[in-house]
Amino acid sequence: MHRFLNAPGTPPRPSLLTRLDFRTKVVIMAVVMAVAVMWENPLLTGALALAVVLVSVLAGLPLVYLKRTLLLMVPFYATLLVTQGFFAGPLITARTGLTPAEFHQIFAFPETWPIIGGAAASWEGVLYAVAVICRTLAVMIIVPLVVLTSDVNTIVVSLARAHVPYKLAFIFASTLRFYPLLLAQIQTIIEAQKLRGVVLERMSPLKRVRVYAHIAVPLILSTLTRAQMLEVALQAKAFSGRSERTYLHTATLQVRDYIVGALALVFLVMAGIAYVVWGVGRFATPFE
Amino acid sequence: MEARSLATFENVSYLYPGSETFALRDVNLTVLEGEFLGLIGPTGAGKSTLCLAFNGIVPQFFGGRFFGRITVAGLDTVETPISTLARHVGLVFEDPELQLTATSVESEVAFALENLQIPRDEMVRRIAWALDAVGLRGMEMHHPATLSGGEKQRLAIAAMLAVRPRLLVLDEPTAQLDPAGTQQIFALLREINRRFGITVLVASHAAEELAAAADRIALLAAGRLIAVGAPAHIYADLETLHRHHLRAPQVTEVFARLPADNPGFALPTTLAEGQERIRAWVARGVTPPPLPAPFSSDGAEGPTVLALHHVHHVYEDGTPALRDVSVEIHRGDYLLLAGQNGAGKTTLVRHLLHLLEPTAGQVLFRGQDVRALHTGELARHIGYVAQNPDRQLFNATVEEEVSFALRALGMPPAQVEARTEASLAALGLGGLRHRHPFSLARGDRARVVIAAVLAMEPEILIFDEPTTGQDVHGARQILEITRQLHRQGKTVVVISHHLYLLAAYARRIVVLHQGQVVLDAPTRQALHDRQALDAAALVPPQAVALAQEIARLTGVPCPCITPQEVAGYLLRLRPGGAACIAS
Repeated sequence: MHRFLNAPGTPPRPSLLTRLDFRTKVVIMAVVMAVAVMWENPLLTGALALAVVLVSVLAGLPLVYLKRTLLLMVPFYATLLVTQGFFAGPLITARTGLTPAEFHQIFAFPETWPIIGGAAASWEGVLYAVAVICRTLAVMIIVPLVVLTSDVNTIVVSLARAHVPYKLAFIFASTLRFYPLLLAQIQTIIEAQKLRGVVLERMSPLKRVRVYAHIAVPLILSTLTRAQMLEVALQAKAFSGRSERTYLHTATLQVRDYIVGALALVFLVMAGIAYVVWGVGRFATPFE
Repeated sequence: MEARSLATFENVSYLYPGSETFALRDVNLTVLEGEFLGLIGPTGAGKSTLCLAFNGIVPQFFGGRFFGRITVAGLDTVETPISTLARHVGLVFEDPELQLTATSVESEVAFALENLQIPRDEMVRRIAWALDAVGLRGMEMHHPATLSGGEKQRLAIAAMLAVRPRLLVLDEPTAQLDPAGTQQIFALLREINRRFGITVLVASHAAEELAAAADRIALLAAGRLIAVGAPAHIYADLETLHRHHLRAPQVTEVFARLPADNPGFALPTTLAEGQERIRAWVARGVTPPPLPAPFSSDGAEGPTVLALHHVHHVYEDGTPALRDVSVEIHRGDYLLLAGQNGAGKTTLVRHLLHLLEPTAGQVLFRGQDVRALHTGELARHIGYVAQNPDRQLFNATVEEEVSFALRALGMPPAQVEARTEASLAALGLGGLRHRHPFSLARGDRARVVIAAVLAMEPEILIFDEPTTGQDVHGARQILEITRQLHRQGKTVVVISHHLYLLAAYARRIVVLHQGQVVLDAPTRQALHDRQALDAAALVPPQAVALAQEIARLTGVPCPCITPQEVAGYLLRLRPGGAACIAS
């Protein structure tokens, strides 16, 4: 029996976020993304990422989800730290006017080493990597925060009110409804392999990858079968994908939606002005 | 007044795209307004195709070649859009998981209404009415994933009922439900049929329930309509049923074994009719015969190979699944683990395989705590065959599938070959070795999984709901394999709620209810423990109910558990009857 932390498609716990209309939350998401793309300052992007994480925790997003997201991104972030630490020189020069000779060096490979000889990692490069990491983190967490604090039914109605084709809204809602079933299916197949004497824990990574490759066939076949059965079930319920339909649920923008939406847009405008006029959010280091 | 026809099939034949075998062939059928029609047939008979033809999904959605004409409520199902036909025909499928698409009960019921552009106020009224009709009122905001199997099927029915169709078609709606859930769904369908006048067509293997609920039964085999008639007529023709791998209700099977000159004439098809006939039979009987021989207990007293000691399990969300469960499984046991859906059967077995760890208590394999062993290591000793074989197949050929575990264990090639050969031969799969497992029929796919598990030569075999989704022929084939394995000295554990099928196989029954063991006894004794079975919401086989009626009338215990035994016992009650009664 597979169990979910929350039934799929239902918000984790009541909060201001769950009470906001989905369209308002989309505006918030767009603002956070725009600001994350605009800002390159490690302190500000760090504050933005921290704010998104804090709101996620307060909104009841499972900590295990946040932990998994971070773990999943660790290889990417490690690569960023190394590559940017060594090779972000031209980017930093373009943003700060500093020459590589003025960078604060952390480490340099001996000149005599082939290919990488003389390459040096700088604090400026690492800080640039930190800014990129924080931007991606803010963007990666704001999306599930918006989706998981919304009821699927109201998402569909909100999207329909926003003139998104019903077929697209339905696909989005169905993905939310059925992705846990797909994960459960993968888990079942891995268990089936263990039940054939496979001790994954004692296998080399290469052998483990080979065993995992066997998941694809049953997963694809069962997913196709399920998809067809689902389509038949939908046909039997007069589903056509056309937008001409009625809705049980309603989605009306409340005063709080207008207030929060307006505040988000004001924040975006202010951040834009501050960036252009005073350079707030531009890449800077504490060493300047 | 003669009933009007609601749907008609005129010389209907159909081939799926790319298929050369007719799924339906020359079918002529009339469904009468207001009737309850049962549809029976072996696996692959064309029942699902027939169901899908009522609302035009066959052929409009699938394509293929269609011959003849079908009309429903006067509409031609080929010419009328499916969305229009959906106003007249409600369709409910076997798997509740796949037909529920919304995230709340009320949204699920609303979905078809929204598609049909029913105004919101009317929608609200219909949702309340439909949920009331299926007994789910008050659960509007529940997520479908949190409902039990029976509740999910009720919800699927409510979703169709809200459309107020004239015809409700259900394709194996109880295949995944326990006996209590099955009885509830049939009672609900009967009520919908009687109270609201909605015509109901149910395709099902549940002979006992269909016999009690249906006005007429249609028998389909190899795409052809073999017979249509009253349940008493269809189920009395045992020869035809058996020829098509079908079974009659046990009560019919009992009286079919008695001489033709017995009191009464037509064979009974419901338990009430059978009990009535028993009363007439016993009234002219003599001294009750000796008791049937109990099952021998050989093998059941071997050393303990698996044990659960005071096991508790609580899921992450706080749901208690097992509560102080203590069970010992001995070498040579053939144990049936029974219980309602959600009773904790699968959770218990997952502990034996170390796929779960107890919250408290201990699980031992040959005296060793299973926590010290990986699932893969345990699997070499405990073979597990899942309910759905498709989830255990992941190789390109049958041969590779059977040898997968042996290769994964790093066995020498010669040994791999020898064991693979032996396993393929044991399951009669030699001729299919180069086929892709998914190209085989469901029954054969199940045998491939069994062969793959057997190749590891485990001493214990666990079968999880092996008879679900099988017709009686397929179910018996698999159970015969379990019997052979048991005779070879294997310890066999079967999870099932099909007590009528397992009565002739299992030696011991453990019944779980709400995570607790409520019964642990030899099969004969367990099946006659009405109190414990009732408490666990399990329904004993009709043969047991008839035996208990005999006991009530004669005042002497009658521990029969199969139709053969009950028939033999009744013969012994008759002067000059046969002497031997128990096998």
